[in-house]
Amino acid sequence: MSTSSVVLLAQGLTKSYGSVQALRGVDLGVKRGEVFGFLGPNGAGKTTTIRILLDLIRPNGGTVRVLGLDPQKDALAVRARSGYLPGELHLEDAETVETILKQFNALRSGKADWNYVRSLVERLGLDLKTQAKNLSKGNKQKVGVVQALMHRPELLLLDEPTSGLDPLIQQEVHKLIGEAKADGATVFFSSHVISEVEQLADRVGIIRKGVVVEVAETQALTKRALRRARVRFGSGVQIPPLADVPGVTLLSSSADSVVLRVEGEMDALIKALARFPVMEFETERPSLEEVFLAYYER
Amino acid sequence: MFTIFKQSLRRWKWQIVGWGSSLLIIALYLMWLYKPMLEQQAQLKNLFDAYGKEMLSFFGGTVDIFSAGGYLNFAFFSYVPVAIGILALLLGSGLVVTDEEKGTLDLIMAHPITRTALFWGRWLALVAALTLTLLLAWLGFALGKPLTGLDTTIWQMLLPNISLLAILLLFGTLALFFSLVLPSRTAAASVTGALLVVSYIITSLASVNDNLEPLNKLSPMRYYQGGSAVNGLDWGYFLGTLGVALILAALAWLSFLRRDIRVSGEGNWRLPFLRSKSQSLF
Repeated sequence: MSTSSVVLLAQGLTKSYGSVQALRGVDLGVKRGEVFGFLGPNGAGKTTTIRILLDLIRPNGGTVRVLGLDPQKDALAVRARSGYLPGELHLEDAETVETILKQFNALRSGKADWNYVRSLVERLGLDLKTQAKNLSKGNKQKVGVVQALMHRPELLLLDEPTSGLDPLIQQEVHKLIGEAKADGATVFFSSHVISEVEQLADRVGIIRKGVVVEVAETQALTKRALRRARVRFGSGVQIPPLADVPGVTLLSSSADSVVLRVEGEMDALIKALARFPVMEFETERPSLEEVFLAYYER
Repeated sequence: MFTIFKQSLRRWKWQIVGWGSSLLIIALYLMWLYKPMLEQQAQLKNLFDAYGKEMLSFFGGTVDIFSAGGYLNFAFFSYVPVAIGILALLLGSGLVVTDEEKGTLDLIMAHPITRTALFWGRWLALVAALTLTLLLAWLGFALGKPLTGLDTTIWQMLLPNISLLAILLLFGTLALFFSLVLPSRTAAASVTGALLVVSYIITSLASVNDNLEPLNKLSPMRYYQGGSAVNGLDWGYFLGTLGVALILAALAWLSFLRRDIRVSGEGNWRLPFLRSKSQSLF
């Protein structure tokens, strides 16, 4: 990855809240124009990482570069070129959606094209005249999505972007993220919804207890890391002890078949099976969820 | 900074109108009341003579309440810093922390605006809000002036308001400073409120008890002139008070520059003996 193609870079990022260590050395690199999914359960450090990228909180150690800039020294430039959707979105209750969006636009010196704002509002089914206090959680989230996108930023930092949205609007938000990518934006989004990450992300980073344990292309991760294999043997054959094969875990077995989880290359398993009469051999690509859980079971 | 200034003033518009119009009405009423009081000067003098010095000290001491400065002080400017002080410390303590506690500051600060611009934009809005409120109070005195035979001009009546502005700014900014170092806005407002009342009591009692004078020198209220400012503003007191407010603002700004932006109370701390084991940190 060349330096100029890296939009987000974190090296050895640490952050503590009192005695609680939220980040224990996060290393990340996000390339220009990609959609990067940041996956992890609640409390893993996703939000903390994103808030450091915008200089909302300061790390205790490590290096951060966003769009080639140090967020602590060039916060203004980083924020001007970014759109942010917080994980916990709170709006000024007394104001209407229109006023809130206009106030955010004023903070960006009126950079947003209001026709584009209207089209976003329409696509997400928002009413500009409704007061924030009368909005449901999902509708507030829509306001958050609009304000993050409305100035067509180079970089989108989205913390759980579809939280609280109904499935139809979730799909619309996915489309908007796809359109932003098509326009050249880089998207860094956190989620604990694995199917969403699988659907949207070009690459995935998995964070566990404040450490990034894996970064890989989404497809490669699901293809490469784990497979489920179902093997049916000929009748009368004593099932061999396949669990001893490196990378193989026995998930279940019956009189003539076994279901195995295979981590890494299949070669050792196939060679082990070659000595037995195999009637059927099926493999399944695992869902990202299985991959994810495998990391958490370690 | 100007956008933040405008947005803050817009947010406080009803507080400014509410407090300002209330003060305007009170000022008008007090102006109207002056003539009837003057007509009963002899009876009132006997009544006040019957009060102890300690009692009168809370209304500006044993000054001539029938002079312009004495009347304005007795009827309004002696106690009003405590009343409007509530507005000042509520605005000051909430200047930054209200948005943190509501969880809205996170998103505001994700926009291209520096912490310095946000801080000073809001602090200037605090100055403007207090100034506008006091201008409405002054307008009440100015409009009511023709009803009285008060021996002063409307411009002289502006001077106690200027003295009042300085002391309100000091306590408002003190509340702001506390809000950035104490765990919550409520704690900041409570501590500042207590200090305001203590300062008021010390300065009031010091006028009748010389032993309190050393302590009184540390009391901000000592440097507030009240109604006596109609005879001339003490620029030393005014600028000194304003200077302390600016120093407090600078300290609060430095604290804001260094700290993490909290979301909905995350990272708040409590006194050790109040801390529960289940306290969430992030």
